[in-house]
Amino acid sequence: MGWESWIIDTLKRALAYGTPLLWGTLGEIYAERAGVVNLGVEGMMILGALSAFAVAQSTGNPWLGILAASVVGGFAALIHAFFSVTLRANQYVSGLALTIFGLGLSGLLGTSWVGISLKNPLPKATIPGLERIPILGEALFRDHSYLTYIGIVLAVVLWFVLYKTRWGIAIRSVGESPSTADAMGIDVFAVQYLCVIFGGILAGVAGGFLSVEYRPAWTEGMTAGMGWIVIALTIFAAWDPLQAVGGVVLFGALYHLAYRLQAWFPPEFLKLMPYAFAILVLAVAGLRKVKRGAPASLGVPYVRGQR
Amino acid sequence: MRKLALVLAAVLLVSVVTFGAEKIKAGFVYVGPIGDLGWTYAHDYARRIVDEEFDWLETVYVESVPEGQEGAIIDRLVAQGCNVIFTTSFGFMDGTLEAAMRYPDVIFAHCSGFKRYKNMATYMADFYQVYYLNGLIAGALTKTGKVGYVAAHPIPELKRHINAFTIGVREVNPDAEVHVRWIFSWYDPAAAKEATEALVAEGCDVFAFTEDSPTVVQVAAEHGLPSFAHYSPMLKFAPDYVVSGQLVHWEAIYRDFLLKVKEGIYTPENLSHIDYWWTLPQGAVELGADFGVPINPVWEDELKANVIDHPVFGKVSIYDLVMIRQSQFGAPGITFDPFQGPVYDRKGNLRIPEGTWPSYETLITMQWAVDGVVGPWPGEPEG
Repeated sequence: MGWESWIIDTLKRALAYGTPLLWGTLGEIYAERAGVVNLGVEGMMILGALSAFAVAQSTGNPWLGILAASVVGGFAALIHAFFSVTLRANQYVSGLALTIFGLGLSGLLGTSWVGISLKNPLPKATIPGLERIPILGEALFRDHSYLTYIGIVLAVVLWFVLYKTRWGIAIRSVGESPSTADAMGIDVFAVQYLCVIFGGILAGVAGGFLSVEYRPAWTEGMTAGMGWIVIALTIFAAWDPLQAVGGVVLFGALYHLAYRLQAWFPPEFLKLMPYAFAILVLAVAGLRKVKRGAPASLGVPYVRGQR
Repeated sequence: MRKLALVLAAVLLVSVVTFGAEKIKAGFVYVGPIGDLGWTYAHDYARRIVDEEFDWLETVYVESVPEGQEGAIIDRLVAQGCNVIFTTSFGFMDGTLEAAMRYPDVIFAHCSGFKRYKNMATYMADFYQVYYLNGLIAGALTKTGKVGYVAAHPIPELKRHINAFTIGVREVNPDAEVHVRWIFSWYDPAAAKEATEALVAEGCDVFAFTEDSPTVVQVAAEHGLPSFAHYSPMLKFAPDYVVSGQLVHWEAIYRDFLLKVKEGIYTPENLSHIDYWWTLPQGAVELGADFGVPINPVWEDELKANVIDHPVFGKVSIYDLVMIRQSQFGAPGITFDPFQGPVYDRKGNLRIPEGTWPSYETLITMQWAVDGVVGPWPGEPEG
């Protein structure tokens, strides 16, 4: 077992484990860039996981499952948008409620899907040509889920939209200063609604990935806290889609290594490592006064005519 | 006033009649969701069996109860009229004991603990014999000499199971190793998956586990590797790769317990010595990947063709060896124990002397690791 296999295994697992985190984080970045915190990621993911499994199992087509997950995730986010944007309810409370609601509802509706093995999971793909690159080719371009590749391309596209297009300017200005954006003629409510729903769609896909690819089965509570890691990664990535890729790969690598390294290090310490590392980076960034890019009006409901 | 007296009389009459009919209402307090396909799923599966079996029995349950909050839930169940209450997590132990003192007329039974009271019994269905049998098969199947084991928490129950499994592995394959990875959670599919992937990367080619989801068998099958199911029937998750496994029959214990309550053998006064520790002979556990399938037929020929030179039985196939050993755990009279001495821990200390079997205390407090276990072992004693 040479060092090559360590790098290949670690990167490969980091990407596979990181895929649902990436999709979820990209969605949350857009919601938060528009000024809306959505703590309902866990709830949207688990609803996505159940609907993806149910539809994939009934139709035999995992892609229809992913589609269903995205629709359900989008609708779940719509609830949050309605409460936090239209009713101006406390965003944190509304998001938490969505998580609790999602976990409960999926458990209730999912009982008949427990204990079934998915007939037809999502296929894996290898990218011809690129897979021949030494080490990295095998780690990054061989036998990954389609959703892994799409997720990385999506990160680049979302980065481009956010920083290089007028849409991106609109989204960012709504998150920084909704009253200014409003004065500029941007429909603040529309932007916030769209971004929150978009975030829900991506969170739904993240959940769907878990139940039709990563571990093709439905069990209650199967997201097991991934939604919260997404919230942390959003901050970790400084609300930047490209940094999200880096953050997810780093977190995923540490998560995998926590099990690889158990033969040499105390397992209790290793289990903490990815989380401790995330906190450390945030603390160092805070101490060095690095601008982390938090949208200035994050979490503040916008009321027209008030500053 | 008169009206009140009438109502009171009616209530009294109704309660006397109910009591006379000796209806039993049993409440179940679960730590996890009933859809986990693991621990709680198995308890609830058993609850439904006894509920259907006995027309004098009514059951209710509360799922996903956080440890520490069982007291309030028990209060509610008692208020709903439950006269027998089962609590199914080790962490419910103290709360159950307090409730038993609070409600001296209600019968309590706590799963997997060791504190009892005049109206509180304990019960457990244990797998260590079945893990040993699975170990025999795993030892025969590994080609790399490395068997992977994904484990939830480093507590005596799991250590006993991993040790029994390893003793089985080494009985047929003296040089084989069991590589252990801890995930510190009873239920975390992502952790179980990455732990399995880590073991695959290390060269393990057969898998067993203690965790509440079918993740390990699914991941092993993705790599084309055999595995052993845990707790619930998991054959359908990888029909070609699940070789065997351990299954629980909590209904065996619930049936016996509730019948004895019904017959008046168990009362709220005489439970302080009632402790069920049921294993293979009592039918509380079963060897198999699915009920009634001790060994997956796909693997039968390979295991029958694999003949070893066994120190006790001479030339014997792995299949026959498993069946012989299983019969030795059967009623009447157990004639073999996986931990029969001499057993040394991996640091070289003699733990169970030659010619003896482990006591119940030795089994339930086991902290050491046997020879052949590779990997971290939190809480491992020095001497």
